[in-house]
Amino acid sequence: MAGATIDHMVAVTILIAALLLTMGIYNQMFASAVAYENNRKVAMKAVDIINTACICPGNPEDWGETNASLLGFGLQDPQAGGYALSPYSLMRLRTSSNDSQLVEYPPDSGLFYNNISANFGHGVLSPVGDCLNYTAAAKMLGINGTYGFRIDIVPTLDVNVSQVLGFGHLVLNVDVKGSGLPLSGATLNYHLFHVNKTDDEDPFPLIVTYSGIAPNPSGSVDIHFSNVTDDDPSYSFTVYVSLGGVTGVGYYTHNTIDSESQYIIPLIQDFDDGKIIIAHNWNGDTPAVTYNATFFILTSDFQLQQVQIANSTGLLNSGAGKPYNTTQVPAYEVGLLVISYLTPEDDMGNVILPWGVGTLGVSISFGGDPTGYSFVATELRQVSINDISYQAKVSTWSLNG
Amino acid sequence: MRTVEVLFVIIILLGALIITIQFAVLPSPQQAFGTNLRELSQSTLETLDGKGILTETVFKDPNDTAWGNLQKALSASLPPNVVYNLSVYDISTSSGGVINYHLAKSISDAGFGVDSEAASLLATSPNVTFTITPEKVGEKTGENNTLYILNCNDANGWWIVGYSAQTLALDLYNLLSPYFQTTVLVNSTYELGQLLNRTLLTGGDGEKVEDAVVINTFGESVPIPSGYYTTVGYDPDATYKYAKYSWYLGQRTNQYNWTWVSIVGYPFYYVTNTDFFKYDHNGWGIYGMKMIYQAGVNAFLQGLSNQPYTYNETKITERPGVVYLSSEALDLCNYYGVYPAPYQTSDRALQSSILSTYNLVATEIFDRSPEYPNCIPAATYRHTGGGALTAIGLTRTPDIRVSVLALLMYYRPAVYKSEFGASCTSRVVTLQLGQQGGT
Repeated sequence: MAGATIDHMVAVTILIAALLLTMGIYNQMFASAVAYENNRKVAMKAVDIINTACICPGNPEDWGETNASLLGFGLQDPQAGGYALSPYSLMRLRTSSNDSQLVEYPPDSGLFYNNISANFGHGVLSPVGDCLNYTAAAKMLGINGTYGFRIDIVPTLDVNVSQVLGFGHLVLNVDVKGSGLPLSGATLNYHLFHVNKTDDEDPFPLIVTYSGIAPNPSGSVDIHFSNVTDDDPSYSFTVYVSLGGVTGVGYYTHNTIDSESQYIIPLIQDFDDGKIIIAHNWNGDTPAVTYNATFFILTSDFQLQQVQIANSTGLLNSGAGKPYNTTQVPAYEVGLLVISYLTPEDDMGNVILPWGVGTLGVSISFGGDPTGYSFVATELRQVSINDISYQAKVSTWSLNG
Repeated sequence: MRTVEVLFVIIILLGALIITIQFAVLPSPQQAFGTNLRELSQSTLETLDGKGILTETVFKDPNDTAWGNLQKALSASLPPNVVYNLSVYDISTSSGGVINYHLAKSISDAGFGVDSEAASLLATSPNVTFTITPEKVGEKTGENNTLYILNCNDANGWWIVGYSAQTLALDLYNLLSPYFQTTVLVNSTYELGQLLNRTLLTGGDGEKVEDAVVINTFGESVPIPSGYYTTVGYDPDATYKYAKYSWYLGQRTNQYNWTWVSIVGYPFYYVTNTDFFKYDHNGWGIYGMKMIYQAGVNAFLQGLSNQPYTYNETKITERPGVVYLSSEALDLCNYYGVYPAPYQTSDRALQSSILSTYNLVATEIFDRSPEYPNCIPAATYRHTGGGALTAIGLTRTPDIRVSVLALLMYYRPAVYKSEFGASCTSRVVTLQLGQQGGT
């Protein structure tokens, strides 16, 4: 009798153990399937978001070219179609993820600008009130509170420019890479904006433009400017690189002012009319500066076409005198607003505002921060902005765990 | 004994478990996505062909250096872990009507794993020759209309940002001259004066002042000849004193049965003559120009409808914003091969009330905005007694293809199309992508 009971107990124990083991394994399988299904939803949402961003212009379609409020999110260039993004809509994205990244101008005025920088002060400063923020975009996409996303739009080609010393005249090296490898055989369309002081009679600095086309057989090439001495010149340099349908932009600048900040800040005042504020940096240590502003339209073959603009020269001061001037660029033409300036000590500097982000190869990051989320789905597309090749990457994650 | 039974049960349970695991292979949750290679491939093909370079390359000789450039561009565009194979197929049709695909060229950077995806693009050779024989405007009616394009070297344009009147004149010449028996460039305001006085400019065969089309390439400004027209066109009592010149233009348009074309913005807003108005500017720093404001178009319409001149600077435009080409206009885009953007921004749409005020019939090319049902974004306004005004009330910068479309829509010349060399002139480009190591 006792033997039968023991036999029964052992059998039941082994059975329960086997059942628990089996249930545990099944449970793991089901959990894995559910997690897969949830991740799949996130991945599908990433596809959905990148398609909306890249092949839908938004509503109204020309929202980037106006100050209008946005009803539907999308970044496609409605005039180009396909995978072409609007250079203007991108300027209206609030890329700063927190207020500390915003630029307040004038200081302590409560007027904030979003900062999409190329480098060293060159970039787009848009009024925050006219910019689309992440929460509003998420609401338009119908994912507010359920999914987070981030859009990174970066140039396909990596074009590095550096100055080469020791020639007695200005020499710039252009190094082109794609996917980490040197890109040889490209054609370079380059433009040098050299800042000069004219004479004692004329207080305004002069911008002299040198343009040319150069081959780049090995992926790295030196461009010589024999008319420009290399004794600390002030200049900006842009180069448009093309090969087999892929195009990139490189950019380099050098100032003679002994400061890391620019003395003049260009701020966008109005997208609709293309109004730009050319402002003194309002730093107490910065002297009064005279400036000369020129707008160049970027043509489809990467040439520059100069356009007359209002208030193209002036004197700006932070204390007594005028702190800013307003000018207007052709709102529907992409290009570069080049501003050169001169201090009473004959120090020179220059700053560029790209009207349309593609013209200076500016990168954009818009959206939330995926750090800390266990599963982040990404989608990649090739896009173009003003015929400049970019890659758009959307990262998406679930906010519900 | 029971232990043995339980062992049987356990064997059954584990057997079921093993079989389930064997057949229900679930992927890891981390494998829920891989980059959507098909869409990446599609976007790569489209962006590479953004300026037509891909299409140009795939029709080149297989040994041409352009293929090497395309391969470099592909390698530079795609992420390092993505491998590709780009294949180009010739499309040909056999005598039995069967479509055949032959591999013409293939480039790739590595072999594929198990998974890959592809997208394709149909390319048409730039060497395909299409010939179009257009009917000449007025050929059927015997009017044989002459096309005059204002190309005056002593005038300045406004609202033609990014262009000059001369480049627009050249483009219009290229687009429209096939549809006209005679096309004449009016190269100075003096020649415009001659034209207004019914003097032939070339004296050549076929030139005819009557029934002509006159295109003003200067945007919102209109060239004015000095001399007679700066005298009679001057109204000393008016705020904007040269509005009366527009009245003369309207009268001549009616008298000679012209179609006057304003390519952008507010018609007749300025008069321009760089010699006569050497010291005047339009208020925006453009010299050689004088404002006639909103009175210009009112005066023109008075002249067009044979009404006496009365100075009237009442605004007759609105800003409906984005407007869309009508379905009829879209059909004609395909018919004539002229493709302006299907939606445009209208900033200077004329009010429809002018139709009754001036006895006009409008041939409209855009659908009216629902918010502005009484505004016409762009149309040709025909006066019942002769003469017409084509007013493209869109914002700058001008897209002259809209003006071309408006004129073609108004005159409706037939086109006779033929195609040469169409065999083997289409190629399919497929781009196959795979992730190294599979997805």
